[in-house]
Amino acid sequence: MDLLTFARGPALQWSVAIFFLGVLWRLFGVFLLRRKKDYSKPRSTHLWRGAVKGLIVHLWPYKEFRPKVVQSYILGYIFHIGLAIVVFFFVPHILFIKNIIGVGWGGLPNSFIYITGAVTIAALVAMLVKRIANPVTRLLSNFDDYFSWFVTIAPVVTGLMAAAHWGGRYEHVLAVHILSFELLLVWFPFSKLMHTFFFVVSRGTTGALYERKGTSA
Amino acid sequence: MAKDDDKEQTLGEVLRQQGVSRRGFLKFCATTASLMALPPSMVPAIAKALDKALRPSVIYLSFQECTGCAESLTRSHSPTLESLMFNAISLDYQETLQAAAGTAAEAALHDAMKKFHGKYLLLVDGSIPVKDDGVYSTIAGKTNLQIMKEAAEGAAAVVAVGTCSSFGGIPKANPNPTGAVSVGDLMKSGQIATKPLINVSGCPPIPVVITGVLAHYLTFGEVPALDVHGRPKVFFGETIHDRCYRRPFYDQGKFAKTFDDEGARSGWCLYELGCKGPTTYNACATTKWNGGVSFPVESGHGCLGCSEPDFWDKGSFYAPLSTGHWGTAEGIAAAAAAGAAIGIGAAAMSRRHQDTISKEE
Amino acid sequence: MSGLSDIGVKVEGDSEPEDGPTTRIGNALPILHEIETYLTRLTQGGEPATIDLRAMPLAPGDYETLQRLLGEGEVSATIDALGPTRVRETAVRGVWWVTHHGATDEVVAEFIEITRIPTILQTVDEDLVDGLSRLRECLAQEGQAASD
Repeated sequence: MDLLTFARGPALQWSVAIFFLGVLWRLFGVFLLRRKKDYSKPRSTHLWRGAVKGLIVHLWPYKEFRPKVVQSYILGYIFHIGLAIVVFFFVPHILFIKNIIGVGWGGLPNSFIYITGAVTIAALVAMLVKRIANPVTRLLSNFDDYFSWFVTIAPVVTGLMAAAHWGGRYEHVLAVHILSFELLLVWFPFSKLMHTFFFVVSRGTTGALYERKGTSA
Repeated sequence: MAKDDDKEQTLGEVLRQQGVSRRGFLKFCATTASLMALPPSMVPAIAKALDKALRPSVIYLSFQECTGCAESLTRSHSPTLESLMFNAISLDYQETLQAAAGTAAEAALHDAMKKFHGKYLLLVDGSIPVKDDGVYSTIAGKTNLQIMKEAAEGAAAVVAVGTCSSFGGIPKANPNPTGAVSVGDLMKSGQIATKPLINVSGCPPIPVVITGVLAHYLTFGEVPALDVHGRPKVFFGETIHDRCYRRPFYDQGKFAKTFDDEGARSGWCLYELGCKGPTTYNACATTKWNGGVSFPVESGHGCLGCSEPDFWDKGSFYAPLSTGHWGTAEGIAAAAAAGAAIGIGAAAMSRRHQDTISKEE
Repeated sequence: MSGLSDIGVKVEGDSEPEDGPTTRIGNALPILHEIETYLTRLTQGGEPATIDLRAMPLAPGDYETLQRLLGEGEVSATIDALGPTRVRETAVRGVWWVTHHGATDEVVAEFIEITRIPTILQTVDEDLVDGLSRLRECLAQEGQAASD
């Protein structure tokens, strides 16, 4: 069995199985936790409105924090949107997804995808530099942060390498690209990458809590 | 079959004897250079080398194969050139093409192997079955493995013609009932002598690629530069996708979705219809088939990847290259159920833990 | 069947010859640019050059586009050696189209040569020597016949 067949076959099956196992484990595990009862008198009962408000308000930093964090927000948006474009609008990726869920959609021209990929990488690198350069974030960072960064950037880098026919024979680079994505799948449920699912819930919960307490935002 | 007495003549002498003029020879050399994918500026050097080249003895053995490779070779687009190629070599044994049969044919094989020991070029098409002592394919009471072992012993070099002898091909396809292996596998496992090996893969290989490799060996007397799979780089150096005239459509994101839609009619990229061009190394896009008329992608069908190892076992010919090979949905469902169960269990444990703590308080 | 030319082939995508250079994809224009480079070199006293058309990934219509744009010149010749070889100068002087045919007239190789005169038309030194000796033999025989 060559590397590409392994990457597209058994490795893919196992990594997807582990991904689903892990994600459902974490989701059930967290959602079924007993939450402490709040005996205080609610100032507002529009909790859902608070949750939605929390989601919207937290899309952009508060005025007070803006000078300090706005750069990180911008970089974060660039690479998240970049990733979404590359993952969901590159035709071979759409075909990959269509093969699984049976639904496909129109893709974007490859040249646009390549540029987006390069911008995404630049943003990710800039974020890492910022993280290391700042003594506080450096102190706060652990293996999870660095490895999650690595498994995020690796598929983009290897994908661009495959597209550019650089770094070896195409089928090998393609196999490494698929394997790097599978590493992302396996690492995902057990790391901070779970924020993909949790960020909505946590921001919503916070928003609802603030609403109940009657705080400004 | 060629006569024995002209074995030591140079190719130039042979051709002149046959009344080939110097312009004819130059034409032959220009065509040969074109065949070998060499730049036209090399024609004078080729003319010089071919003029002095000796005619090598060639033994062509067929094992588990369909004769498609020999068919392809004998249909190389130029009868003139092909006959010249076959005058340039002394084809001493080829089951399908030789007039001799039975014991006479076997005798010819053994004579050639003895007379040109260490000097003959061995062409092999078909894979070699090794399961159950190789009983699944025998010729004149000998297994293919035995014949291959004897023939490889005295060969100057071996050319594996076709995907079967290069990589195992269709006989080796899952579940490989005969234990078929390639010539290279036999060399690696030490079952036959290790000799310089050129894999000319393809199902069948492009005729001019076969003759081009022979011409190269004849001109330079050595094995050409090879890729990781032992194939000549001049023909297998680039993918079908890289040299495909439909490549611009791939880059623009214009794809045919079915074999008869507007995209297919406009000649758009066949990636979504399962074309294996991006992972297939061969010269089809440049050399084309049937005398340069067309090649599969040009006639509207994606590349099957027939020149790659195990092409038969790499999933559907019509599944896009980027799709995965899924086992069953049950596996994922089971994993999801297990994950949910663990999650529920973890939450339950946590709750019980909370209860214990609150009781203690 | 005597050859591939007997099979009717309809080439699609080549139906707009009036609109000038039409091949948006394909290699006709890059090849013309290559010819331009070689021709420039030749006018500046450089070496002749040859392009192997078989080594080019040609899109359907490319070949016809090349022929149409290069046009037909005033010189054409046929060499009868191992099947016919047709040599003709295109309307672009100094650019020659050389087609080698096999014994049954099928095309075995095809080149575009950028030169004053293609090599295959020129007489090589060995042939000059052979020609001279043939002529002398002929003269000697005639002289003998006259003196008899």
